[in-house]
Amino acid sequence: MSTTVIGTRAPRVEGVEKVTGAALYSADVLLPGMVWGKSLRSPYPYARIKRLNTSKARALPGVLAVITGSDIRNVLVGRRLRDQHILAADVVRFMGERVAAVAAEDKDVADAALELIEVEYEELEPLLDPLKAMDADAPLLHPDLRSYKGLPPTLPEHLRNVHAYSRIERGDLAAGFASADEIVEGTYSTAMVHQAYIEPHAAAVSVDAEGRVHVWAAQKQPFGLREMLAEALDLPLEMVVYEYSRVGGEFGGKGALMDVPLCYYLSKACGRPVRMVMTYTEEFLAANPRHPSYVQLKTGVKRDGTITAHEVKIIFDSGAYGAFKPVPGVDLGGARKAGGAYRVPASSIESFIVYTNHVPGGFMRAPGDPQVLFALESHVDEIAHKLGMDPLEFRRKNILRQGDANATGEVWADLRAREVLDAAIASSNYGQPKPRPHIGRGMAITNRHIGGGDSQALLRIDAGGRVTVVTGTPDAGQGSHTIQRQIVADVLTIPETQVDVVARGTDEAVYDGGIGGGKTTHVTGRAIMMAAEQAVAELRGWAAELRGWPEDGVVLEHGLFSSPGEAGEPVSLQLAAAEAVRRKCAPLEFHTTYSKGKVEQECFGAQVAEVEVDPETGQITVLQMTTAHDSGKLINPMAAEGQVEGGVVQGLGFALMEEMILEDGKVANPNFGEYKIPTIADIPPLREAWVEDAPGPLPYGGRNVSEHSLIITGGAIGNAVRDAVGVRITSTPVTAEKVFAALQAKRQASA
Amino acid sequence: MNSFEFFAPTSVDEALDLIVSKGEDAKIVAGGTGLVNMMKQRLVNPEALISLGAVRGLDGLEISDGKVRIGALCNHQALVKSAEVGQMLPLLAETYSKVATVRIRNFATVGGGLVHGDPNQDPQVSLLALNADVSLRSKSGTRTLPLKDFMVDYYETAIRPDELLIDALVPVLPNNAGYAYLKFLPRTADDYATVSAAAVTVLEDGVLKDVRVAFGSAAPTARRCQETERMLTGQRPTPEALRAAAEKAKDLADPVSDGRGSAAYKKEMVGVFVRRALEKALERAGGAVNGR
Ligand SMILES: Cc1cc2nc3c(=O)[nH]c(=O)nc-3n(C[C@H](O)[C@H](O)[C@H](O)COP(=O)(O)OP(=O)(O)OC[C@H]3O[C@@H](n4cnc5c(N)ncnc54)[C@H](O)[C@@H]3O)c2cc1C
Repeated sequence: MSTTVIGTRAPRVEGVEKVTGAALYSADVLLPGMVWGKSLRSPYPYARIKRLNTSKARALPGVLAVITGSDIRNVLVGRRLRDQHILAADVVRFMGERVAAVAAEDKDVADAALELIEVEYEELEPLLDPLKAMDADAPLLHPDLRSYKGLPPTLPEHLRNVHAYSRIERGDLAAGFASADEIVEGTYSTAMVHQAYIEPHAAAVSVDAEGRVHVWAAQKQPFGLREMLAEALDLPLEMVVYEYSRVGGEFGGKGALMDVPLCYYLSKACGRPVRMVMTYTEEFLAANPRHPSYVQLKTGVKRDGTITAHEVKIIFDSGAYGAFKPVPGVDLGGARKAGGAYRVPASSIESFIVYTNHVPGGFMRAPGDPQVLFALESHVDEIAHKLGMDPLEFRRKNILRQGDANATGEVWADLRAREVLDAAIASSNYGQPKPRPHIGRGMAITNRHIGGGDSQALLRIDAGGRVTVVTGTPDAGQGSHTIQRQIVADVLTIPETQVDVVARGTDEAVYDGGIGGGKTTHVTGRAIMMAAEQAVAELRGWAAELRGWPEDGVVLEHGLFSSPGEAGEPVSLQLAAAEAVRRKCAPLEFHTTYSKGKVEQECFGAQVAEVEVDPETGQITVLQMTTAHDSGKLINPMAAEGQVEGGVVQGLGFALMEEMILEDGKVANPNFGEYKIPTIADIPPLREAWVEDAPGPLPYGGRNVSEHSLIITGGAIGNAVRDAVGVRITSTPVTAEKVFAALQAKRQASA
Repeated sequence: MNSFEFFAPTSVDEALDLIVSKGEDAKIVAGGTGLVNMMKQRLVNPEALISLGAVRGLDGLEISDGKVRIGALCNHQALVKSAEVGQMLPLLAETYSKVATVRIRNFATVGGGLVHGDPNQDPQVSLLALNADVSLRSKSGTRTLPLKDFMVDYYETAIRPDELLIDALVPVLPNNAGYAYLKFLPRTADDYATVSAAAVTVLEDGVLKDVRVAFGSAAPTARRCQETERMLTGQRPTPEALRAAAEKAKDLADPVSDGRGSAAYKKEMVGVFVRRALEKALERAGGAVNGR
């Protein structure tokens, strides 16, 4: 194999298209006769709809259709748990819930029509605190919960307003606590944050003459969308077609149906293609942000730092619906990480996902993990401080070694936890003398699975020798198409510019599970690699036949087949392909399937934050962030750096500034003027360290680098602030004001 | 956004005629960065927009009689880039450079910014410390007001419906003056200030001959801190004196709580940033704070 394409900083396939504005997104779709859809949203977090009158809106010139919940009362949707109406039926459960929708000739008319819809509400007392929502006397937000499709069958009967619950227990907890010299407790919370992709949700639906439903949508799982929609609309699968369009960032948040069913019903009602584009205000009020969390931890330790017992209770605020969580348990991954990358002999980890009258929570990059790891890694530092140990020493003592089980009993192959921690420390300033006072350094570490799943690949070589990957994997910005191209070019030993990657919709592409869960380079990459290898095997045969070589001796180098020691000019891939196509009377197509369930290895990420705190104002300046991964062999170092650095930036947002401020059920800052994310001017120098000796299932033997860098930033920053000025901030975002208040409290306490 | 009529007069007189004839239903638009956002949120719904974009002669920068006259249509970035402003009123260049991002600064005008009247804006704070005046013209003539009287309340100024803001007049600082504008941005570099403060200091023989201080983002308008100034004028700027005078500025703070900080926190920060602005101005005036 050539090594010229793998391990190089290959530029992005779709880069030029994106920066020149040529790329087409769902909101760009323009079909003949297309009209605009808009939805009317609830102004109350919890209310009964007493009366709804749409006649004035219908009478407005330019309005083509108005629909309400009573038109689609029987349809409940959800990625797993189907607990949400497309339009509220009788009750609205969050401020921003869709109540009615209009289709109109243009957007302004649609907006004007919304104002003409009369709704009379009877306000109900909202449940805004997930802890109180679990009380025995709390009213039930979903009295019909037990009847919903997709409800986890193991959900205990006695829990109130909880739609998902898990408990992981291991070892003898009581004995563990009894044998401890110290018991350290802590309670932490994290804010609701938005994925903050640039492109808001957009969708367009057109029903053709045969009744096939064509869908354009900002979506991470085209085939998943097709299935969900077919099921929701009660249509045969083949009647739904996802048409490919680019995704303008998704960070986990674009896996739901969102406005697609509404576009469909509006389209049915007016007989025209309908497009809906959410405003960013709608994104903040009613998309699917990261769940806020409350995490209680209690850990027993020996004086020498050995952990003896670990108990965690996690409460996630699910908001009004569980519909946005795609996994069978309808839960978040955080609970499995609540024991960290450490040896824990006895543990109990409980996780509650609780309904409230907030915006429903959805998936966002490593769902549940940043919340739990902020709490856990802050808590770990507090344990170290209590024992008078350096947090690094404490971590090194407890970190998983080969063969160890973690708190949930998992054991992994080829463990590199310690190497990753050491790499992060070695590349950072941790332990170095501090140039000034009020500088602090803090670390955090996490583990995360290497995603598995199913993927198929389709590789085409035409008579001219042009190589095309037809992919159904969207590329939401992480560079999956670029990686696919590199793999094919490498296997075929040709420059990557000779390989096209074309993304197609569900009619043309072969099945792909979509992006997410740290799996794309792994499963899609493997499927593509297999397809390219099949192509080489077949073309080698044609080359041998053309020259009369024995097939066994034929080698491929720089796109040329030759047979050392045999007579005859080398045969180019193009020539072999032309011969094959001519003789078979068909283009060459290689269609492969790759499936992998659970991966034996686990990958780790460690981070060191260095900050400076202004003790007079509490302001935190991040001086440097260092992140280490057991990546194994990097296929494209530039893409890996981009992924990791993007994660750090998103992590810094979560750690330092991002918060959807919830006031009486209302998102008080629903725009980027008030909801702040980091800008380039806020980004400190970023360093990465790669542990490349780390075998894994990815093509060329590596591991994924998808999410760790943002999971641990909250903890690393919190610990660095603690190191700088001696105060512990127990909630995100870690703001200047919180640090200021904590410093004042500390001064008063010592005065 | 509702639909509206659009007018693009090419002279001040034509613009004044339009303002009168279109009356209350019309809005003037300059850079549009403030107004259009409000229209999108339907906070204002004008039936006509009178754009100043094509009006000639309103974007000049002129220096005479020890004053810089800044035309209302001069955009923020032009001030940041102007060599004369950089030399004669470096405080203004420093302040305008801290407004939003270059994309906004290229459109936002000096006049639009002043009439916009958001207490979280930056320029007003330094313009107050610089003793700026604004001139307003209507069909019946021109009047000149000190900026402190022009600013009235949240998003409210003393401009009358038939008036145009024509220019801002800013006295040039003496060469030995120190100056500073500090914008406290604890969340991100692209934000309105949590609090801000401007200071101008002139030292003579180690004594403060002239001190001017103002803060922003912590009251319905930017505020000049007269009591602070009084406490320091004629004094040596010792750390204790600066601290006590800056503390006094907090009495004038009347902030609201928002995503940038609680009212209590902002009030505390007024004390800190007023003092720091004074310290930085003194440093620039060549007289680092005694005792430091
Ligand atoms: C994203 C963003 C970030 C921002 N960040 C900051 C910041 O960090 N700091 C800061 O200080 N400001 C900030 N601003 C505010 C910005 O400075 C103001 O929007 C801008 O100065 C207004 O100027 P304009 O020319 O665009 O005014 P316009 O929007 O055109 O007009 C504003 C108001 O002034 C009136 N008007 C305009 N010109 C005249 C005139 N000559 N005579 C009479 N009335 C007039 C209009 O009728 C309107 O009421 C920000 C704005 C945006 C959109």
